[in-house]
Amino acid sequence: MEKYKKLKSEVEKQSKKLEKQKEAIGTEASERSLKKKLERQEEKLKTNNRDLSMVKMKSMFAIGFAFTALLSMFNSIFDGRVVARLPFVPISWLQSISHRNLLGEDYTDCSFIFLYILCTMSIRQNIQKILGFAPSRAANKQGSGFFSTPTPVGK
Amino acid sequence: MSNVKRKSGEKISSDLSKMATLAKAFTAASDWPDKDEFLDVIYWFRQIIGLVIGIAWGIVPIKGLLGIVLFFAVNMAVIYVYFSIFQKVDEEDYGGISEILKEGLMTSFATFLVAWIIVYSALYAD
Repeated sequence: MEKYKKLKSEVEKQSKKLEKQKEAIGTEASERSLKKKLERQEEKLKTNNRDLSMVKMKSMFAIGFAFTALLSMFNSIFDGRVVARLPFVPISWLQSISHRNLLGEDYTDCSFIFLYILCTMSIRQNIQKILGFAPSRAANKQGSGFFSTPTPVGK
Repeated sequence: MSNVKRKSGEKISSDLSKMATLAKAFTAASDWPDKDEFLDVIYWFRQIIGLVIGIAWGIVPIKGLLGIVLFFAVNMAVIYVYFSIFQKVDEEDYGGISEILKEGLMTSFATFLVAWIIVYSALYAD
């Protein structure tokens, strides 16, 4: 737990520092030494991110297992039952989720899986944020930058 | 013993900082040195708006695509009025107007849908 907290705060600090440095460098003429410094910072951040992921791995497995078990239990309880009525008709590709295993052509009938997914998106996200387990914005920005070319920051 | 004192001290200071943030959120043209703090205010404000709109649309009831379009319109309008007119924040500090308008939008949409569906089903489903 202590290691997780330490790594998380390191990642957040480094992400914020990196973001500030990128903004500062973006407005000046590019110098090789500055770029090298930036690259070294990014490498350090990547390593810390990787370590953080390793620490999170165990709990992620446990959560995944628990939610899979919960999902299959709910599936057997609510299979074929209409759990709610939608005040709108979902678009065609959503109907395969919202009308899953339900009889009839009334697409305002809602199956449990659709409501479950919506609840996961809203309630789980908010609880993570309340309890402080959501990754910080700076860490998110750096994370997405590793998979796509970073856009220039500033005016 | 010192651990317990340290933790209760930390809890008190965290509660105080939350109350300070809340007071700033309701005060016009507050100063926001910490950008993340302001974006958090926008995020939670959005969740509350989503919940309130979902409950309201479920009670009226408002149905169909109109409900969804109205949700986005009201949500964006309220947030825009809040940050540009009430708080008078410079959007360039946050990376542009879209960054502020995007903050917490999808989670707020999910919250709105859950509230809308549950209230509508409770009141109008047979």
